[in-house]
Amino acid sequence: MPYSDEVLRRVREPQRVGTLTAGAGVGTGESGTLAHGTVTRMSVRVRGDRIVEARFKVFGCSAAIASASLVAEWLEGASLDAAAVLTAERVARALQLAPEREYVARMAIEAAREALAKVEEE
Amino acid sequence: MVYLDHHATTPVDTRVLESMLPFFAERFGNAASKHHAFGWAASDAVEQARKQVARLIGAGTRDLVFTSGATEANNLAIKGAAQARRGERDHLVTVVTEHQAVLDPMRRLERDGWRLTVLPVASSGVIDLAELERSVTERTALVSVMAANNEIGVLQPIAEAAVRAHAKGAWFHTDAVQAVGKVPFDVDALDVDLASITAHKLYGPKGAGALYVRRKGRAVKLAAQIDGGGHERGLRSGTLNVPGIVGLGRAAEIALAEMTAEAQRVAGFRDRLLEGLRAKTDGMSVNGGMTARLPGNLNVSFAGVDGEALMVSLDDLAVSSGAACTAAEPSHVLVALGLSRDRALASLRFGIGRTTTADEVEYAVTKVSEVVARLRAMAPSQWCA
Repeated sequence: MPYSDEVLRRVREPQRVGTLTAGAGVGTGESGTLAHGTVTRMSVRVRGDRIVEARFKVFGCSAAIASASLVAEWLEGASLDAAAVLTAERVARALQLAPEREYVARMAIEAAREALAKVEEE
Repeated sequence: MVYLDHHATTPVDTRVLESMLPFFAERFGNAASKHHAFGWAASDAVEQARKQVARLIGAGTRDLVFTSGATEANNLAIKGAAQARRGERDHLVTVVTEHQAVLDPMRRLERDGWRLTVLPVASSGVIDLAELERSVTERTALVSVMAANNEIGVLQPIAEAAVRAHAKGAWFHTDAVQAVGKVPFDVDALDVDLASITAHKLYGPKGAGALYVRRKGRAVKLAAQIDGGGHERGLRSGTLNVPGIVGLGRAAEIALAEMTAEAQRVAGFRDRLLEGLRAKTDGMSVNGGMTARLPGNLNVSFAGVDGEALMVSLDDLAVSSGAACTAAEPSHVLVALGLSRDRALASLRFGIGRTTTADEVEYAVTKVSEVVARLRAMAPSQWCA
């Protein structure tokens, strides 16, 4: 099996799947296109300087699902400062992704950054 | 773990295993040892197996060459025929949906200067006989068309194809590994010259197979591909794999005796699987025609699902995906049917077999439909067919 247990667990029992309804304190970002085979969407709810809720949706391979799931796990409960320094390399390392799959980790991070940038004023 | 991948391989039937066991440590003789009882026992067992295999496919016992399996049988048939007819003819014909064990030897011959025609198939997976007829000329040495496809289970019109090959003096080979033992297959009724068989697809061991080589009427004389000792009438040198051959023989005998009942049972499970999946999953399409098809085969694609994520999610279900052999590349068979790359990748091949139970089929229906629903629910927007 080419994937680590960290990936397999998240693909088979994904957590934090969903989209948060737009509104005050909520931001949603997306990366990728269906035509390219992977789309990752990340939604966050921010209160003060903390992300209180994170949800993802994804169409793509196991690595894309696991990357989005892991980023949502990391975001929920994190401070905005901590979220700002999350990197694709860290995601890829935690999931032990093969180098050719690292781009999906980047997409999860890009979607998260866009979501945080788009958070509506409370 | 539920095993629904009987086109990849089958478990050795316990009756087959029992027949093989004495030939490892007790009756271990070399079938080529002519001067003592150990050799005679081995040789007798091999000849008994030859009769059993011959009976299954309606061949004469002298028409069978034991090999290590179907890949070797295909290589012997294709390269052996080409080499034997070199100078006299320079053209080969095969089909785009053939197994690599046919396509690769064909392409090697093409690199060596042979002209190669690779016939397309219709969306049903079946060849166009008129196109085959147009392709075969008096320069054609060999036509190779598989009896049943390993991915979509579609049966080709072998007898009709063989007639068209013979009309121009071409020899006709069929890779029959998926068909033999599953559906009636008779070398005389089909009038094939060469047919490849392997034990492990019919509940026998891996590492044993055979090539049928016609000796009656149109005598087909192949050039041997392995030299050294002149075993198997000089066509395949090398000490015979006696336990494997005994297993192949017993597997053939069982297949012949039980084929009708087994095909009926397996087809019933296949139909239930399809009906169950259709009831629980929309956006599903069947790949290949359902009219002339192996009883245990089902190949389906799911819209709006990533094929790789689908396979990874089916953790306790052993099936094959459209990406089975060459990761990330879609199946050449499904692409030949006209499927898009994504649809080909998001496909599953189910191979139902002798050991499959009704509970396993129900489990597969539930598991696959749940996983497809979960993956679709996870997608950012409603999946689009």
